[in-house]
Amino acid sequence: MSATQHSTPAPDAPVVEAVSPLSEAFRMFRRNRPAMAGTVVFLILLAIVIYGALYGGDPFEIVWAPQTPPGEDGFVFGTDYLGRNLLTGLLTGGAPTMVVGASAAALSIVIGITIGAFAGYFGGWVDTLLMRVTEFFQVLPALLFAMVLVTLFSPSLLTSSFAIGIVMWPQTARLTRAEFLKIRELEYVTAARAIGARDRRIMWRVILPNALPPLIVSATLTVGVAILFEAGLSFLGLGDPNTMSWGMMIGANREYILDAWWPVTFPGIAIFLTVFSVSLIGDGLNDAFNPKMRER
Amino acid sequence: MQTLGYILRRLIYGVILMFFVVVLNFILIRLAPGDPAEVIAGDMGGITKELLAEIRAQYGLDQPMTTQLWIYLHQIATGNLGVSYYFDQPVSKLIGSRVGATILLVLAAQVLSILLGVVMGVFSARKPNGPVSAIVSVISTVGYALPVFWTGIMLIILFASWIPVFPVEGMVSARHAATGWLSYGWDVARHLFLPAFTLAIIFLAQYARLSRASMIDVLGADYVRTARAKGVPEMRVIFKHALRNAILPILTVAGLQFGNLISGALLVETVFNWPGMGTLAFDSILRRDYPTVLGILIIGSAMVVVANIVTDLGYRLADPRIRTTGGRR
Amino acid sequence: MAALLEVTDLKVEFSTRYGDVTALDGVSFSLDEGETLGVVGESGCGKSITALAVMGLIPAPPGRISAGSIRFQGEELVGAREGRLRRLRGRDIGMIFQEPMTSLNPVFRVGDQIAEAILLHQDVSRTEAAKRAIELMKTVGIPEPASRARAYPHELSGGMRQRVMIAMAISCRPKVLIADEPTTALDVTVQAQIFDLMRQIQEDYGVAIIMITHDMGAIAEMADRVAVMYAGRMIEEGRADAILDHAGHPYTQGLIACIPALDPEVAAADRPPPLAEIPGIVPPLHLLGKGCAFAARCDRAFAACTDMPALKGGPHAVACHAHEPQQQPTAGGA
Repeated sequence: MSATQHSTPAPDAPVVEAVSPLSEAFRMFRRNRPAMAGTVVFLILLAIVIYGALYGGDPFEIVWAPQTPPGEDGFVFGTDYLGRNLLTGLLTGGAPTMVVGASAAALSIVIGITIGAFAGYFGGWVDTLLMRVTEFFQVLPALLFAMVLVTLFSPSLLTSSFAIGIVMWPQTARLTRAEFLKIRELEYVTAARAIGARDRRIMWRVILPNALPPLIVSATLTVGVAILFEAGLSFLGLGDPNTMSWGMMIGANREYILDAWWPVTFPGIAIFLTVFSVSLIGDGLNDAFNPKMRER
Repeated sequence: MQTLGYILRRLIYGVILMFFVVVLNFILIRLAPGDPAEVIAGDMGGITKELLAEIRAQYGLDQPMTTQLWIYLHQIATGNLGVSYYFDQPVSKLIGSRVGATILLVLAAQVLSILLGVVMGVFSARKPNGPVSAIVSVISTVGYALPVFWTGIMLIILFASWIPVFPVEGMVSARHAATGWLSYGWDVARHLFLPAFTLAIIFLAQYARLSRASMIDVLGADYVRTARAKGVPEMRVIFKHALRNAILPILTVAGLQFGNLISGALLVETVFNWPGMGTLAFDSILRRDYPTVLGILIIGSAMVVVANIVTDLGYRLADPRIRTTGGRR
Repeated sequence: MAALLEVTDLKVEFSTRYGDVTALDGVSFSLDEGETLGVVGESGCGKSITALAVMGLIPAPPGRISAGSIRFQGEELVGAREGRLRRLRGRDIGMIFQEPMTSLNPVFRVGDQIAEAILLHQDVSRTEAAKRAIELMKTVGIPEPASRARAYPHELSGGMRQRVMIAMAISCRPKVLIADEPTTALDVTVQAQIFDLMRQIQEDYGVAIIMITHDMGAIAEMADRVAVMYAGRMIEEGRADAILDHAGHPYTQGLIACIPALDPEVAAADRPPPLAEIPGIVPPLHLLGKGCAFAARCDRAFAACTDMPALKGGPHAVACHAHEPQQQPTAGGA
């Protein structure tokens, strides 16, 4: 938390107050080499995925002899156990992973922030009730629950996003609650209350902007975890059966790993690079928002 | 006395949580598209009318919702998790034969990741800007980003063809079957290593980060300075005075990780053919064998509840401040 | 007679992101057996660094002792092996810290924490050490020591915890006791009790005390001699009564003016405001120039103050260009 945030903003302009530490954080972020490397890698992957989704071709099409090693016969990454071009799979397989990862993370963040904000702001029985619900969701093993949801409602991009979003929100809720508990005691919140601002306004226009830094960091990490979740579900064969995804490629080829390592290795590297770049960005944001922690 | 009352309260709360898990299961079956009886029977092709009628009668599906819920709760409470029509066995028996393997895997991974993570964290905390610290933080970030099922497969490739030191599949070798407890245990341990290590990698990263931060915090604490001022040797300062305090946040997180461990175990078991609940869940999900899947969800949740209670008790033992001032929440 | 502890021209540097910063420069003092030396100054002026340097506990890196010597009973401690320093710590030199709330390890019983100090330095059994810990707790005035020994720090009040700290520090009958702001965190009534206890221990054990404080009142209460520090240097040194009566340095005078007077009438007659304060703050160490560090806050600063004044003038030494050794301080001026 930067000290500048303790000054009392006019309740009409809390967003302006929050911008200056944010732009300062942005400056620090740009000087952070791993974080910038992560950003660049992520943007390249994103470009490849978008290109692949538009012009990648049909990843299910059988084009050549099965298990052609990488580099042979003009197949850069080789072919899989059915003779499908792995390059096509790699190009097109990122889209479902990223789309599901992003929308699941968005869903879980919205649920988490809403529940955490109400719990932290109102306290009392609202807090108790909402935190009990949160604990309940933390008791359910997340992947198992997501698997159950996806199978019950038949696998598709939509059900995957929904299922993953539903199981991931408790952490965001806890973090939001903690931030709200802390910030609601600060002077500028009292000031806003004193001039008669309504609860809704205080929650979303005064407290939330000031709670954003840790929430942005956690949101970034949530995207990474959501991508891993999607990959896990697809690996188990619970992704959308009509859309090729990196996880699905690994799952489909895993029976044959001892004959051909490449159909499993390359999609895994793709998933890893995506999550790795996202978490580098998350770490960079964390350092940028908490300059004091950098010495650690 | 205080602790006893605390355990009792936690147990009651755990039972309430489990009640809601069961209710959730009930709701899920009713929400799924299609006739609940068919959902319960699963996708096994050629479901007979007799079977559906039997299921309807058993679950009371022709009665009002509240009665259905009551019947379901009663079943679960008496240990009847339903019948798997695919495996043609009671679900409780199916899970019972698998649960031990999963607990073994999860605990082994938990212990391994905490031990390695704490060691890494402690060493990097001593020189927060040194090379060890840098290596540890790279390992943590990488470990965090690795898809666990892929790591497992990579290890299988590595150990199956290049360095055949550890078996890459199953829990016991067929040829060693039961030649005495010791060799059996050794055989299981060898089979356990790769899956447990694979699963530990994800959590290792988090424990390393956490114990590093917590250790840096604690090493700067006044009481550590006090220990040094009375002439305590440095290693003892670190491993007695500091670590006892630094371990507290790790315990808290360890408790919260059990759900994730079980999720991870699901994938790892599938990769290594570990005969636990994860492979069972995978098989039964592919077969749309919902009674088994939901039974696993119940047992998995129960494991998390129990693990949380145990962790909280451990925390109370480790931190005297909580013992006398009551609950942590 | 050689002094018990002799610190000469001590210089401590820290490497920070602003480059190397000198935290202590040219600090010299000596301590005789059984006497109490008060070290005074605002926070950030190097008092605690001095104490840690004597203990051999300067965190290194980033800190290091770059010059000077610390002699304890004639033995040089600067550059001594860690193992040797460790055996001195707690056995020959004990230390009490400012925050009794956080200076005791929260997860161990207080009796065990005292016993650990005994076990480290003396060849006794665990039961014997535990017994002695209880005796020590009795010595420092903790009621029901046997049951309190089994308490955890959070179960004791601040004053009790500080007594435990004292018991721990004196457990091996040290020759020197360093007390770093021992009463700052405590209530006024408890402060007085702790001072009484320390005096009692000094009488019984014959221990020499280095008493670090920002409070001139505590100096008046406890110290035989005083060293005043500012921005890492000593600026005045002498007998406590001499300094309290005729402070030579404007900073010392400011500190004395800060003592709250108990009797408002006396306060009104003696000092202009009942509770004075010195304007400004101690400059950050990385911003120190070549001149007198206090000049910026000093109402008597003049041209000469751009050079560092030396500490000079016999038993009552002052480092101030505006100070004339033979004159009363009131006559000093620009």
